[in-house]
Amino acid sequence: MSSGDALVILGRASYNDREAEASFTKCLSDSVGEGRDPLRVVSEPEFKDLMYPWFEPRTAPTNIDELVKLFAQPGVRDQVETSQVRYIAWINGDTVTTGKGGSLACTLSTVGGGCFGVSFWEQDASYEASIWDLENMTSAGAISADATGTSYVAGVILPIPLVARPGNAACKALATQLKEFLLTEEP
Amino acid sequence: MGDVSLKTLVAVFALLMLVACGHNIVVEGTIPTPRIAALPVNVGIHYSEEFRSFEHKEVIEDIGSWKISLGEQNYVFFRTLMETMFETTQEVPEPPSSPARLVGLDGFVVPEIEKYGFLTPGISGLNFYSASIHYRVTLFNSDGETVHEWQVVGYGKSETGLFNGDNALEEATVMAIRDGGARIAIDIPQAPSVLSWVAEVNGGAL
Repeated sequence: MSSGDALVILGRASYNDREAEASFTKCLSDSVGEGRDPLRVVSEPEFKDLMYPWFEPRTAPTNIDELVKLFAQPGVRDQVETSQVRYIAWINGDTVTTGKGGSLACTLSTVGGGCFGVSFWEQDASYEASIWDLENMTSAGAISADATGTSYVAGVILPIPLVARPGNAACKALATQLKEFLLTEEP
Repeated sequence: MGDVSLKTLVAVFALLMLVACGHNIVVEGTIPTPRIAALPVNVGIHYSEEFRSFEHKEVIEDIGSWKISLGEQNYVFFRTLMETMFETTQEVPEPPSSPARLVGLDGFVVPEIEKYGFLTPGISGLNFYSASIHYRVTLFNSDGETVHEWQVVGYGKSETGLFNGDNALEEATVMAIRDGGARIAIDIPQAPSVLSWVAEVNGGAL
């Protein structure tokens, strides 16, 4: 990846509740664009506005063949070149609650209140990034990251949460891989 | 005196409940200008009063009432959309009733909103608000004959926090306008009937 090139990270929309959350793609964009060896990142809203109506949830290309056809539309290639976006990373995946248990009861009365017990839930975050090279019009590769975590809320008068964030862990792991992948990619 | 106070309290409580359960949303936001090539034709566009001031009102038992005003935002976006899709446009107050009234126009377009709907997380069981807009867009030639009629459904959704449902529904509606507009901007210029009409208007050449 050359120094002038930019990357855009786009969530693949599915119109159900199983798709990469906007907060995940933002976390990934922020993580890739900062720290050691930061990459130049164009934000998802900025890129979609710039390319409207071609990268909307139901109009975006789903494979390289469709991308080639899209670039044949008047002005599309020029617009991408102006933005200097060389790579698109399409994000698929989500964070789901795979199990929960325990018992936590809270009461409130005129003489006071409190919570007693323990409640927990386990979450599994699984994401994949498919990387497209817009200059060579090829699929450059795919990387993935998984993370699991168990959160607890223990109640001894006051509820005390101990929250695991597997989505955040998967974001950081995928960002590290994405940087390594693109920095070693031949320009 | 005690009765009056009780009645007043009940009335105030009822009013508070009404206010608490009523949602009055005026849809605002920005939608970008489509980056598409304009068709080389001069068309009139008729936006009906209903289209320009479209409101959706709905009362859902045990949940509340909604009044969603999306006409203004939708109208502003469609003006930009039509000006981008066609080389020249002009608004016409009424659909031309005869070819004689189409002087200087190659045809005219009538966009309509047929239906609007929304879902809250409480209704759908999903963790987002969603909105859909059913559009009908009809293109007529200079003889007043239908060139093509499209029915397009724009769909949008927005994740939400616990206390900002109205903002999420507004955002979902903006996304639905944006989605519908994207489909119209891409589909209409590629429709064979439209391409034939444009070729005819331009003497057989595009």
